[in-house]
Amino acid sequence: MRNTRILGIGHHLPSRVVTNADLTAMMDTTEDWIVQRTGIRERRFSDGWTGAADMGAEAAEEALQHAGVSARDLDCIILATLSPDVDSPATACLLQHRMGIGGMPAFDVRNQCSGFLYGLAIADKFIKTATYNRVLLVGGETHSTGLDLTTRGRDVAVIFGDGAGAVVLGPEADTRRGILSTHLHAQGKFAEKLWLESPAARSRPRLTEDMISGDEARIFPKMEGRYVFRHAVVRFPEVIREALDANGLGVADLSLFIPHQANLRISQMVALGLELPEEKVFNNIDRYGNTTAGSIPIAIYEALQAGRIHDGDLVCLAAFGSGFTWASALIRW
Amino acid sequence: MASAILGLGHHLPAEVECAGVRRPIAVEPVGPSALAVPAATQALQQAALTPDAVDFIIFATTTPDVTFPGSGCWFQRQLGFGTTPALDIRAQCAGFVFGLSIADQFLRAGVYERVLVIGAEVHSSGLDYSERGAPIARLFGDGAGVVLVGNDARAGIRSAVIHADGRYYDHFWCEYPSSRQHPVRMTVENFRQGKHFPAIDFESVQRFAEASLPAVIQESLQAADTGVKDVDRFIICHLLPEVTETAAKKIGIPSSRLNIPAARHGHLAAAALPVALSEEVSSGRLGAGATVCLAASGSGFAWGAAVVTL
Repeated sequence: MRNTRILGIGHHLPSRVVTNADLTAMMDTTEDWIVQRTGIRERRFSDGWTGAADMGAEAAEEALQHAGVSARDLDCIILATLSPDVDSPATACLLQHRMGIGGMPAFDVRNQCSGFLYGLAIADKFIKTATYNRVLLVGGETHSTGLDLTTRGRDVAVIFGDGAGAVVLGPEADTRRGILSTHLHAQGKFAEKLWLESPAARSRPRLTEDMISGDEARIFPKMEGRYVFRHAVVRFPEVIREALDANGLGVADLSLFIPHQANLRISQMVALGLELPEEKVFNNIDRYGNTTAGSIPIAIYEALQAGRIHDGDLVCLAAFGSGFTWASALIRW
Repeated sequence: MASAILGLGHHLPAEVECAGVRRPIAVEPVGPSALAVPAATQALQQAALTPDAVDFIIFATTTPDVTFPGSGCWFQRQLGFGTTPALDIRAQCAGFVFGLSIADQFLRAGVYERVLVIGAEVHSSGLDYSERGAPIARLFGDGAGVVLVGNDARAGIRSAVIHADGRYYDHFWCEYPSSRQHPVRMTVENFRQGKHFPAIDFESVQRFAEASLPAVIQESLQAADTGVKDVDRFIICHLLPEVTETAAKKIGIPSSRLNIPAARHGHLAAAALPVALSEEVSSGRLGAGATVCLAASGSGFAWGAAVVTL
């Protein structure tokens, strides 16, 4: 059975930079507090009538160019997001429309911070079985329209940013190269530790005015930060070792670890625990914050640009977040 | 390795009269994950398996329990799984066929051995049952269906083909909350305008279904190397039963072999196909060896069809 490899990659970040200082004007927080806890210095917020499909289309166009693939030749479109453009249908349909193509399947993956890696696992299997030859996978978020940018929401609001990344995937005949394996997990027991409740089909009615505004508003994400942190620093190394073990490899074989950009302190603690030197870990959260489903493809893009990934390198991608869900993928570049 | 159906289950809430019709409606506040639990238990019992035998959960819904995390996570915790991966997909009315196709890839790639594919919806909590919204609200029902698929020497999933065309994204949609609306994705004004309720261009939906359903059914039959006459049952999921009938007639499907779930339960979207398949089997109308074509067309527009042998 053949492998899958990344044929092309693209990204899109809105031009509007929101610094920590900008946030201190909206809520009671400090530059120091944000940097100390998260490592974030600035993030991007989109403007106008822009959503994950629009940013995703820009990223996809770049990825297609990089891959030398025409949009019409795509066999499947997968979009990972937790901030969809509309309630339904899937944002992948809006992306397809934006790209001016149709006919190939388009669907959303809703697996939060692990969304890109769940999507990558799906794309990989569609290609391995030779069902498809060209799959577009996009991860993108418009967090800025769903954050409580007041003092009440500060613990969550300072973390997130908007952006999208895209990869075009295709077959790799050499089974020692490309995506070597993917590993997925979930534990719904902790669903309320990082979540956004409303609208909720399980409430009758799903949405009320009280859920939208006022003191009882429930349309903003909530997080028990310390709890998430404690689980992240266990699950990250666990799922990285799972990927390495599955391929008979060890931490010393890794050329680069690209974690989902959740929090710089998590990445640092994970690297420390695995005894990975700083030059083998890629972080860019200082400039973009947590872009959730967008963070891994954006980080791969920048790592490639910075010359941090070379032919033959062993790259590990890993994510942990809301659900809880966590995942990893091992790639021989 | 091929993929086969190991177990089936479904769960429908009690029927309630609303907007002048009787529909299965979850009158208690429950999400689709809770409706899926008894359905999954039934599917596992049929296969004589326990939850720990499941390697992967695929949850297709248009009406998730909460905004995030996905319903797969909420389902997983109710059924007492450990850290079994739980994927949530959004492909609307065709979600189950998309899920089945994804499951088939993981099984054929040899990554997982047993996968639960769930289609579940609680539409009723998000519908406008006032006079204004009744023409749309009366079309929908709530329910959950589960199919347990696994590696087997028999080829159970003989084909699964899926499509989408986003040009029609706003012809059958629910616009709000809309993350692309800046600076806030949902306002009280949006709410008062009823933008969080589904809106449907019936003419467009009908036209598209009458073309896409016959085509995708033929495509799935060809991919399975079979024809209309060799299929024991066609289960077709679409919002409008009469449109489904017209589409089926176009390719010579006799009404005796046609199952239109929406005619009995209202539109169950992602849940319609697994519910109807499970009903056919549990009632004894279909048994081992029967060949079934499952097809759906709806919001997105997304559509698909699969041929399975029980």
